[in-house]
Amino acid sequence: MFRLAVKMTVARTGRLILTSLAVILGTAFLSGTFVFRDTINQTFDRLFADVFRDVNAYVRSTTFLELDFGGEQRAATPISLLSVVRSVEGVTSATGDIQAFARVIGKDGEPLGSEGNGPPTFGSIASADSVGLWSVSEGRLPIGPTELILDQATATNGKFVVGDTVRVVAVRGSREFTMVGIANYGDISSPGGATFALFDQPTASEFLLQPGFVDAILVEGDDSVSDEQLTQRIDAALADDLKLETLTGAEITAEVQGQIKNVLSIFSTFLIVFSYIALGIGAFVIYNVFSITAAQRMRENALLRAIGASRRQVSRVLLIESTAMGVVGSLIGFGVGILLSQLLSALLKATGFAVPSRGLAISMSAFVNTFVAGVLVTILAAWLPARRAGRVPPLAALRDTALDTAGNLTRRIIIGLTIMALGGVGLVSGMRDAPIQVLGLGVLGMFTGILVLGPAIARPVALTLGIPIAKLRGPSGVMARQNAARNPKRTSRTAAPVLLGVALVTAFTALAASIRSEIRDTFGNAFSGDIALTVDARGFGGIPLSITDQIADLDGVAQVTGVGFTSVRLSDPNEPPALTQAGAGQRGVFVQTINPATITGLFDLGVTEGDLTSLGKDGIFVAADRATEKGWGIGTRLQVTRIDGAVIDAEIRGFVSGETSFANYVASREMFADTPSPIFDAFVYIKVAEGSAVDEVQTRIAAITSDVGIGTLLSKEQFIDEQAAQINQILALIYGMLALSIIIAIVGIVITLLLSVFERRREIGLLRAVGMSKSQVRTTVRWESVITSLLGAVSGVVLGVVMGFVVVAALDDEGNIAFKVPINETLSIVLIAFVLGVIAAIYPAWRATRVNIVEAIATT
Amino acid sequence: MSIFPPTAAETTTAGTIAAHAVSASKIYVTGDSEVHALDGVDVSFEKGKFTAIMGPSGSGKSTLMHCVAGLDSLTTGSVFISDIDLSLLNDKQLTELRREKVGFIFQAFNLIPTLSAEENILLPLSLGRRKGDAVWIDRVIDTISLRDRLNHRPSELSGGQQQRVAIARALASQPAIIFADEPTGNLDSKTGSEVLTFMRQAVTDLGQTIVMVTHDAVAASYADRIVFLADGKIAGEMFAPTAQKVLDYLKHLGE
Repeated sequence: MFRLAVKMTVARTGRLILTSLAVILGTAFLSGTFVFRDTINQTFDRLFADVFRDVNAYVRSTTFLELDFGGEQRAATPISLLSVVRSVEGVTSATGDIQAFARVIGKDGEPLGSEGNGPPTFGSIASADSVGLWSVSEGRLPIGPTELILDQATATNGKFVVGDTVRVVAVRGSREFTMVGIANYGDISSPGGATFALFDQPTASEFLLQPGFVDAILVEGDDSVSDEQLTQRIDAALADDLKLETLTGAEITAEVQGQIKNVLSIFSTFLIVFSYIALGIGAFVIYNVFSITAAQRMRENALLRAIGASRRQVSRVLLIESTAMGVVGSLIGFGVGILLSQLLSALLKATGFAVPSRGLAISMSAFVNTFVAGVLVTILAAWLPARRAGRVPPLAALRDTALDTAGNLTRRIIIGLTIMALGGVGLVSGMRDAPIQVLGLGVLGMFTGILVLGPAIARPVALTLGIPIAKLRGPSGVMARQNAARNPKRTSRTAAPVLLGVALVTAFTALAASIRSEIRDTFGNAFSGDIALTVDARGFGGIPLSITDQIADLDGVAQVTGVGFTSVRLSDPNEPPALTQAGAGQRGVFVQTINPATITGLFDLGVTEGDLTSLGKDGIFVAADRATEKGWGIGTRLQVTRIDGAVIDAEIRGFVSGETSFANYVASREMFADTPSPIFDAFVYIKVAEGSAVDEVQTRIAAITSDVGIGTLLSKEQFIDEQAAQINQILALIYGMLALSIIIAIVGIVITLLLSVFERRREIGLLRAVGMSKSQVRTTVRWESVITSLLGAVSGVVLGVVMGFVVVAALDDEGNIAFKVPINETLSIVLIAFVLGVIAAIYPAWRATRVNIVEAIATT
Repeated sequence: MSIFPPTAAETTTAGTIAAHAVSASKIYVTGDSEVHALDGVDVSFEKGKFTAIMGPSGSGKSTLMHCVAGLDSLTTGSVFISDIDLSLLNDKQLTELRREKVGFIFQAFNLIPTLSAEENILLPLSLGRRKGDAVWIDRVIDTISLRDRLNHRPSELSGGQQQRVAIARALASQPAIIFADEPTGNLDSKTGSEVLTFMRQAVTDLGQTIVMVTHDAVAASYADRIVFLADGKIAGEMFAPTAQKVLDYLKHLGE
């Protein structure tokens, strides 16, 4: 039987390639993301190994806060300790290191690098010491408070040459420097697209951090002792109460490598999840192809059964064939994935996040993962069709053609609707209090239900969609409509990837539209100013407080208030302290910093109890639901540990609703006034004095902000729009998924059409004989494709709207979120599906015109 | 179609001949060997007559039909359908010619399964976006007596009914010539004779021209004339045939 399977497989190379195409596509995404991840990791591993090559020891504070997304914020280290470290025996040199916020303003007045989500913009120290991380490639090192150098990439992008004046914004405000040189980081021009402005140590400390402080001390030894011994000696030389620790060069290298891996892992995990989804949708295409080919070979299989093959043997032939396709497809897919990873790198480069290339990393585990997943998915997808093939009655050998029929429709409808209803229940409870898994099961239930229902609705829906086509396109249209409806099971399976993608996108778009209008209402009510200055950089940099104060002094400005964020560690003295490893960081929480003196009447933080002016240096407001959860009340004392390690005994003095505050905790900016890790404002709200024109005031503010090159000035309307638009970032991810399912859907439709064309070549031959022109043949195939694609889109939109409605209804306890169907988006989706159908039909339609009439109609 | 000026050969035959072939040769090359499916065949098919083409398997009778009908092309020689030299036509023109001037009846898979009987009958007309002659189509449908089955799909019709629908389709556009390829090959003798009777009627009563390929002597006996083919050449012809005469001739041809 094995030999027969091999012979049958080889005899149908065309089909082998077609089916493998689905496998190749699914595995290519997977291997692409694996290879991409490995390549980036390897690149940064080597980069930091290079950068810290001469660093034998690393001194830093033990006080730090862990932030979300694997980041951390660490207390500063006094530069005065440099001499202590230098005096340790075995140390040849030591220098300070700073990595802080600094923004280089381009010659056109626009800041270089991106605000917010792009690679960060840094200020740092350029040092003559060999342990410095930077090497000067042109000019010389900066000396004194008016000189800086830039990294190579930033200098090139900003068209700066040695001798130019460069404006930089940092925590101390905006200043001009003379550029005296250009530097490289390790041996690359700029790591990961970040921008760097480099100063001498005193300037960097004063301008970027706090005079007399650095982030860490880099130490080079004379190699007389091991790094471990050197580290111990330095540790011994530093007083215990300084809360400092010393790491070996290898340790800090590994730590930085680990950190960057952590940050990247969020990105790559996301990509890999997408790839598995792609493989899942691909599995659907594979299942469809096997089902079609199994049906097309019914006579052949029946003949095998008639001459004595057992059911199991017939099934096994198909399974062996599918294994072969899985193996071949996964191998090719892995190769295609490598190319895909290169494409991904190029794409990142084009969007400004340049990843230095250090060669391709192709790991064994990436290969094994891709290969095993690809083969398993293929065999699983072929399992049902193979079993079905075995069940073919031997008598079918004598019948003419056997379509794969849809079976009992009533049963199908009942089962499908039941599963969908259960899914709906899961969706609703998932939206209320049930765990996230219930929500997942709910979504799964909805999709499974519609897939079961598919074959039952495919025929009527396809026929309905085909009516205008049949009317407009004459006999070709009539036949396209009938062809789309003649095999409901096949049509619905082919449309499934479109359906899945469209349903998800529609549901999320509907949900987003509803949430957006909710946000608009909330912020519209909360913000009573005229102008807002915002900067999209949470937790890293922002608008220096001095700028906020400058705006307040402007002519025509009635009231100004700034709102910012910082991280602190919060502990409840009544709770036993969590067990933490010595020297380990503590989980930080975001605190919204406000100016209690100016905020009232300009921005409503949704205070439910208390008075913001009572905040002072040691007061805190908490989101009401958080307080309830923790059992806190007015007067509860909490320990707030700032990033510099200072502990403040704070008191809860009020509650906020949490809807318009961006964090669960609110404190006055006074609490952070004396910290060496300064705070910024992220939003500045401005009210124009009565009698002054808003646009005149805005021009005056722009003069200040454009001088520092940060922030965006928005009118009240624009500000509200901007808040509502934040939801779009999530939508972008969902649209990425739509794109992915579109690619797979195209391939699925192409394969199905090709198999259908092959199956109907006799019919096509007859049509050609009685006078159907080639272009009419193409029209028939094209419209069948469009109907199939539209079937997926239309049922996807319906399912998506239903899911979106259920979710919004479940989310909306108070009845104030109105459900909105996103008309424009829905129309574009349907339009995309239409174009998709036309594109998918191009090749199959051409193949259909190549059918040889005489061969096709020859009676065999 | 008049854009093609008639040649000398055509003008001599115009008026009485529906289609004719001049030194028609068809050579198939497979690997090193050449197969002469047609070897210099000269034949004409008269208007308003029912002609049968007979011959053993591999004699080239199907190839001759395919080439004369414009489904396949000759290696050398020419084929004309009502004065038009098929070798001068491109694919689009050939398609239009088949749609307007030629009717087909095949042995099986004659009908499009997704279209109703009526839609199948009108298919060549609707492909050309033409209405056709309503009176004529009515008459054709009456002749095949399937008026009550017009809305049925092919799968709901018997084999004989399907062939009758196929005949109606071939007749509907009043083509210059109808080609039938073993039209009764898949039918039992009773249904087969019914179908042949309809074809006979189409020629006698409706004045159509039919060329039928068959290897069945009884079927051939319905024709006005039989052309015998052997080894890609014309082996002879017979007028006013009967089944017995045909069988005798075939026996003689086989020797």
